Amino acid sequence: MTKNLLINLAWRNIWRNKRRSAVVLSSIIVGVAATISMDGLTNGMTYQMLFNQINLGTSHIQIHKTGYTDNRLVKNFIQGELQLKADILRLPGVKAVSERVVTFGLVSSAESSAGIYVYGVDHKAEKRVSAISGLIKEGNYLSGAEREVVVGYELANKLNAGLGNKIILMANDPSGKIHSDVFRISGLFESFSSGFDKSYIFVNSDDLQNMLGLGNSYHELAIIVAEPSLAESLKSEIRSAVGSDFEVKTYRDILPILVMQIDLSRESMWIVNMIIGIALVFGIINVMLMTVIERIREFGVLMAIGFSTGKLFSLILLEALIIGLSGTIIGLVITGLIHIPFSYTGIDFSWFSEGLVSLGVGAVIYPVVSYQTVLLTIIMTPMIAVAGAIYPAIKAIRLQPVAAIRHY
Amino acid sequence: MEIIRSENLDKIYKDNWVPVQALKNINLTVKKGDYMVIAGPSGSGKTTLLNLLGALDKPTSGKIFFEGADISKKTVKELSGLRLNKLGFIFQAYNLIPVLSAIENIEFSLMLLGKPEALRRKLSLNALRDLGIEELANKRPNEMSGGQQQRVAVARAIVNDPSVVLADEPTANLDTATGSNLLDLMDEMNRSKNITFLFSSHDPQVIERARILIRLRDGQIESVQTK
Repeated sequence: MTKNLLINLAWRNIWRNKRRSAVVLSSIIVGVAATISMDGLTNGMTYQMLFNQINLGTSHIQIHKTGYTDNRLVKNFIQGELQLKADILRLPGVKAVSERVVTFGLVSSAESSAGIYVYGVDHKAEKRVSAISGLIKEGNYLSGAEREVVVGYELANKLNAGLGNKIILMANDPSGKIHSDVFRISGLFESFSSGFDKSYIFVNSDDLQNMLGLGNSYHELAIIVAEPSLAESLKSEIRSAVGSDFEVKTYRDILPILVMQIDLSRESMWIVNMIIGIALVFGIINVMLMTVIERIREFGVLMAIGFSTGKLFSLILLEALIIGLSGTIIGLVITGLIHIPFSYTGIDFSWFSEGLVSLGVGAVIYPVVSYQTVLLTIIMTPMIAVAGAIYPAIKAIRLQPVAAIRHY
Repeated sequence: MEIIRSENLDKIYKDNWVPVQALKNINLTVKKGDYMVIAGPSGSGKTTLLNLLGALDKPTSGKIFFEGADISKKTVKELSGLRLNKLGFIFQAYNLIPVLSAIENIEFSLMLLGKPEALRRKLSLNALRDLGIEELANKRPNEMSGGQQQRVAVARAIVNDPSVVLADEPTANLDTATGSNLLDLMDEMNRSKNITFLFSSHDPQVIERARILIRLRDGQIESVQTK
């Protein structure tokens, strides 16, 4: 036996009942794996929801004329002469800016019609701000050619229209008059959200501005920043730069329900983790109590030959700590081996949940494990194991050597 | 030289709230080099007395002096230290630590005493050699016979050179020949190394070897016989 008496003794005691130790280890491994996997999936799902929303058009920051958000009227436009885009592009941290003409309208084919949001965009700038150009499944994204339109598959199906077909777009101009024009479908897209695919269409901004008589005015400036975390600080900077005639909102302001949902899912993760932790504590209390009861006579002998109660207490806690640490390490390794490939390939949930697509998550979830959760698991799991051993250890040190030696 | 002295020792147990007088007015002295046996029928109080003298239990009244110091008022921690430093124990059921080998069992108390590894190993090997079981050094208790385990227990009890070795029915689980061999060894150690032994037993083999025989009956000393 080497110099470290307690560690050696604890280690050997753990393995004297291999089956029981394996059961405890397994429960810790499953606990660790469950905690991290749940965290990975929840984060992956919520980040994807947010990421998809940002990429589908929300962007990190939006600028509108004051009052536009409350009343999305065509007349609440930003004058094109103001050159806001150039001013904002100069701000450090800003990666891309796109001017958008936004209106609500009616789109009709020969067979059907639907109410939709129309986005008039500069196709070059928009490619740097939203992901729509990358979601084209058939045909092409906007090229700047006259009267081309990109629609979602869902909407195309509803209109019973396909690539190259004409559709008629009707919308109000700033004075309320209805205008219409004919557009030809140049591309069909499929996003992560079925709701988006049937409600949004994209045309060149020139065409929409001409149709609505807006000149070079637009309604929205969509901004992508280098890091989402910069959005809040840039918001203040932009606000002071553009003045009070404009409202500046980050994705957190624009998507409050989604942000709340993300915060809520994080909070609920803590509750799930706490339940796993409590279950683990009781499991360990149970096993360590059995261990103590089985070894009463041995503890009596140890105390008789001069093993102090302090050392006995430490020995029992050390056994639990070793099991906790071993379980945590093995659990982390196993979870890592499973998680790392999935973080690249994603997990396809389409076979049992179409709801994910309608939620805007996408059928494939890429787990994202937060380092805080890993760190917390590394710290908390052995602590939980030790906490579970405290009561059995107290029971052990309260034993009277004389009675313990006689115990059979 | 006096090692242990008891004065007017009483021990009362509560058995289902009914007080049971296990020992009454015990006065005895154990001196250096003694080979003393406490004998008596079952329930006479032998083991209770041994436990009190071995600082494993506390008397209801009376005093126990160990090397002149009253131990009846010492704390649990102080008694633990006393057992570690001054006492060696041999139990009826051997009670070796199952996860440790023979030599590790012997080294264990030396480790608790903080002895350096080289010295521990040397003293433990010497103890194994003295008991004729050197070849069992690396065997675990479940790989040894009862007699071999009890020899390891004796080695564990004597290795830290205690003031007194207390042996509670050491031959009770052994066959006659094995028990006799073990007693011969302890007898020899007592004679050659002046190790003090205090036994509790009703085994005639142990009793006939006693140089001081204390007979207990109903918790009281019935007779003291010195050979």
